[in-house]
Amino acid sequence: MTAARDSVQNQTEGSPDTPPGEGTQPEASKGSGLELRGLTKVFRGRHGEQVVAVDDIDLKIEHGEYVVLLGPSGCGKTTTLRMIGGHEEPTSGEIVLDDENLAGLPPNKRPTTTVFQHFALFPHKTVLANVEFGPKMHGVSKEQRHERAVEALDVVGLREFADRKPAALSGGQQQRVALARVLVTEPKALLLDEPLGDLDRLLRLKMRVELRNLQRETGLMFIHVTHDQEESLSVADRIVVMWEGRIAQIGDPLTISTKPDTEVVAAFMGDNNIFRGTVARRDSDYVEIEGDDKITIRLAGEQPGLDVGAPASVSVGAGAMKVAFDDTSSGGVNGLECGISTVEYLGDLVKLHLESDGKQLLAKVGAERYPELVRREGARVRASWSSEDVRLLRT
Amino acid sequence: MSGSSAPESAATAGVPLGLGSRIGGFLRRRRGLVTAAWAAPGTLWLLFFLVAPVIFIVLVGFWERTITGFDESWTLDNFRSVFGSDVYWDTLRQSFQNALIVVAASLVLGFPVAYFLAIEVESLRNQIAFFIIALAPFWTSFLIRAVAWVPMMGREGALNRGLMDLGVIDKPLDFLLFSNFAVIVGMLQLYILFMVAPLFFMLAQIDKASLEAARDLGANWFKTFREVILPQVAPGIVIGSIFVFVLSMGDFGTTRVLGGATVSSVGLIVQNEVTSVQFPQAAASATILVLFMMVGVFVLLRFSNLREEL
Repeated sequence: MTAARDSVQNQTEGSPDTPPGEGTQPEASKGSGLELRGLTKVFRGRHGEQVVAVDDIDLKIEHGEYVVLLGPSGCGKTTTLRMIGGHEEPTSGEIVLDDENLAGLPPNKRPTTTVFQHFALFPHKTVLANVEFGPKMHGVSKEQRHERAVEALDVVGLREFADRKPAALSGGQQQRVALARVLVTEPKALLLDEPLGDLDRLLRLKMRVELRNLQRETGLMFIHVTHDQEESLSVADRIVVMWEGRIAQIGDPLTISTKPDTEVVAAFMGDNNIFRGTVARRDSDYVEIEGDDKITIRLAGEQPGLDVGAPASVSVGAGAMKVAFDDTSSGGVNGLECGISTVEYLGDLVKLHLESDGKQLLAKVGAERYPELVRREGARVRASWSSEDVRLLRT
Repeated sequence: MSGSSAPESAATAGVPLGLGSRIGGFLRRRRGLVTAAWAAPGTLWLLFFLVAPVIFIVLVGFWERTITGFDESWTLDNFRSVFGSDVYWDTLRQSFQNALIVVAASLVLGFPVAYFLAIEVESLRNQIAFFIIALAPFWTSFLIRAVAWVPMMGREGALNRGLMDLGVIDKPLDFLLFSNFAVIVGMLQLYILFMVAPLFFMLAQIDKASLEAARDLGANWFKTFREVILPQVAPGIVIGSIFVFVLSMGDFGTTRVLGGATVSSVGLIVQNEVTSVQFPQAAASATILVLFMMVGVFVLLRFSNLREEL
């Protein structure tokens, strides 16, 4: 399978029949990449009102990069992807791929191809004919497109299913056909619209690894839309978190996961404890925030710009929380006494839902502590964290 | 089968022997009974209202004609006279030709309507609303619709008047009414919905994302149509063509109202024979018409493997 993948990759690089519309760049990987400039999409709502789906987005994506657009439904991630693919016209803004402005080009003239959420295979065509479709539309000769399609089916391990109709395949197999069908067109950018959304959980976990490997092996630019945080962390080189039509934060998975920039990102990524308050004291190497819920949080670093009396909100990751039974002292800095409301065992870790004076907190501790924690709902504990793990959020 | 002394074994499938497999067999037969019960009303309906009358008509075609109807003595005279009648064969040819024209025209004119309804109209609500509007002609009887063409298309009708007022023509066009042209146009407007409806339902089943995928993979509109839409809608074309073909071949009402004295159809011949109490002759004419239609339907079915594609 690896050999077959290599051969497709070689072909990708050395193929003489570049589809029309690919511009003057013979090799996709050497262009300047994809750039979205001020991209905006305004829809007309049901009652004629204007709905801003995508609001003035700037984004640059390099060739060979795996980027995930992450956000809740309605955040504009799919609309953004559809504009890149040419399935929606931007209201304003530019989409530039390797110095070629794509705006105004129909999807069939764009060097991008899309894997659709529900696969969108052609039900009346065999698997092979589905995969051959792209090259056929680009005028590739019968022998060549057959050869390429068979190779692409090899890549996804479905060669023996070539003569079946899509309906005779499982969801995961259909997903692979959809992948083969776009890979064979040698796109400059591969767009994936919730590609794993139709699969069951185990298959999703498996396919996301395959997607990641496929991207590594082909070296293509992948732009993947999902609402699944874990999926984005698993596959992405870079995650673009979107919220209400705007980009909330861009970062690598580690940054997005552990250092959310804004309350919105912290809340959406989950497992973050968010505290709001005002700056009470500051020193050369820390700032203390008096939380609205009477919790005092100390934030490491000088934090220029945070003056005493200014409002501030911070987050502490659930994983950074320490939970101790022997010390139930209340008050103090970066810690409080609280009760365990739920102990949730997740296999590799234990999630503790804590409560103190109506404030809900989350803590994640190692699974080895499960025996000590099981059925300890109601017990009093002290939750604490270090000032290095406190993250200041932009408002 | 049951009651033999062979050992019971799950491996010897298909040879129910023990109690368990006997119950299984009974349940299987029961399931057959349930299926039969569901199918029974429809089957009885078809037997009583379609199969029996057709058999009866064929029989009558082989019976002697009498002043008051027919007599149950066998003869081939009725068929002999139909086969020997140039008028019958000319009319059959005319009906066949008209039916083909109506099928082709309803396909060409009906496809855009169905395409618009199923593909271009996005919300299901609007689709249903437009479809009901398209069905509006069916709210009146076909005779009224056919008769309504007379003031439209006649010598003094609205169309001729309008064209003359506009100066397009200086004397009325005669072929607009009481002509074969009028019959074809009339049948087209009566039967086109039998084409639009199956096309609409087939088109509405097409996954719109697959059309997007086709565009995405490099197909322009025309190639998308040819490669993705047309193959999937083919069964609808065949079904619609069968409807329109059969209805047009058997038509007599439209022909009578809009064809005047100049145009005939096999349906009209049969009807005339019935009104003049020549039942066996009418039966023979009708039998040959039905045979001809069956051949037509068979040929149409060859264009598409309905069983597999539906």
